[in-house]
Amino acid sequence: MAQDMTLLWGSGSPPCWRVMIALEEKNLQGYNQKLLSFEKMEHKSPEVMAMNPRGQLPSFKYKDYVLNESYAACMYLENQFKSQGNKLIPDCPAEQAMMYQRMFEGLTLNQKMADVIYYNWKVPEGERHDSAVKRNREALAAEVKLWEGYLQKGSCCFLAGKNFSLADVTVYPSISYLFRFGLCEERYPKLAAYYNCLKDRASIKASWPPTWKETQGQDLLKDL
Amino acid sequence: MAKSMSLLWGAGSPPCWRVMITLEEKKLQGYKHKLLSFEKGEHKSQGVLEINPRGQLPAFKHGDIILNESCAACLYLENQFKSQGMKLIPDSPAEQALMYQRMMEGLTLTDKLNSVIYYDWLVPEQERHDSAVKRNREALAAELELWEGYLQKVAAGSYLARAFSLADVIVFPNVAYALRFGLSVGRYPKLAKYYSLLKERPSIKASRPPHWQACPQGYDILKDL
Repeated sequence: MAQDMTLLWGSGSPPCWRVMIALEEKNLQGYNQKLLSFEKMEHKSPEVMAMNPRGQLPSFKYKDYVLNESYAACMYLENQFKSQGNKLIPDCPAEQAMMYQRMFEGLTLNQKMADVIYYNWKVPEGERHDSAVKRNREALAAEVKLWEGYLQKGSCCFLAGKNFSLADVTVYPSISYLFRFGLCEERYPKLAAYYNCLKDRASIKASWPPTWKETQGQDLLKDL
Repeated sequence: MAKSMSLLWGAGSPPCWRVMITLEEKKLQGYKHKLLSFEKGEHKSQGVLEINPRGQLPAFKHGDIILNESCAACLYLENQFKSQGMKLIPDSPAEQALMYQRMMEGLTLTDKLNSVIYYDWLVPEQERHDSAVKRNREALAAELELWEGYLQKVAAGSYLARAFSLADVIVFPNVAYALRFGLSVGRYPKLAKYYSLLKERPSIKASRPPHWQACPQGYDILKDL
């Protein structure tokens, strides 16, 4: 099973982390893996390009099946390994709907976060504007407030229903990322509780970005 | 079933179209629906905000259950109504993997299309740059080349993950949209073939943007891509 799987990944990348959490949750430890460096442009190396013409991480393969989109890999793993590890898709229709809804809203959260954190990486110098930086920060603040609201009701530990689900697999890494980049825990107490509550979950502990253990975070989002 | 479902939608919006195709495929015709106008800002009306605080379409309800993300709605409907209508998630592990992969890549295609087609809508005037427009167009061209490659063997019954699946539900509207906005069928023959093979599929014909019928001429922003 896991021996037929290969993951090329980068430390701290939410999409990579999602796949690693899913693999842990489904008891698929022991997969082949290689940590690569974005800084050294290793995501554009021939090894990655051979698995992923987009030159992106994660690049994931199970036998001959290529699943380079993190959501695709997570959904596939849950469907193929339903009977082992933790159940990640609830049966209850209302909880299942909530799970899918939050999962896909998670892509919006990640996008808005990337627009702020990676502004200088994505936008060439000659095209940067303070007005754009301001607008992106306001959009991220509004987005983060939405998620703070989503965690008001129900369990503080799970985004959909009473159990850890694919919503948490896919969204937790982005929320962690927010705090890594200085999001204020006092201003967003429900998000902070969610973040701290799940830090100790086995799958999350096992896949915690190695570089985060070695270095300090940043404070870009301190005043958000 | 369908009677307890309602959809607020806008014409020509690929996300709305995806949900409508799925409802047709799962034999859930008869759902309540209301066509709203983006131009008139109706997606920000009270009626929408009550269901979708983001003020976006589609806004879909099944009883008390709300699904405003098109992929979420499509996945939910396929999973809840597995035993009726068309099977939209293949059983074969290889085809299932391919389906999920193409489905999610479809969201990248959507973004790159939007960056070009809606550039002026998304970027305030004083922040616009020819260099950005150029870069977005090049990125879209590269993306479309990828999809042209994915569809090398396209034929009747053989689409993005072999049999018609959620991958096609998600991606077809984007391909239709690209052609509507002038994409050259000569330069992208496989995408054009994919479009012409599927445009007559009952679920797609039934949910086709109404104004495309009335106004067959599209735009030409993608003509030279």
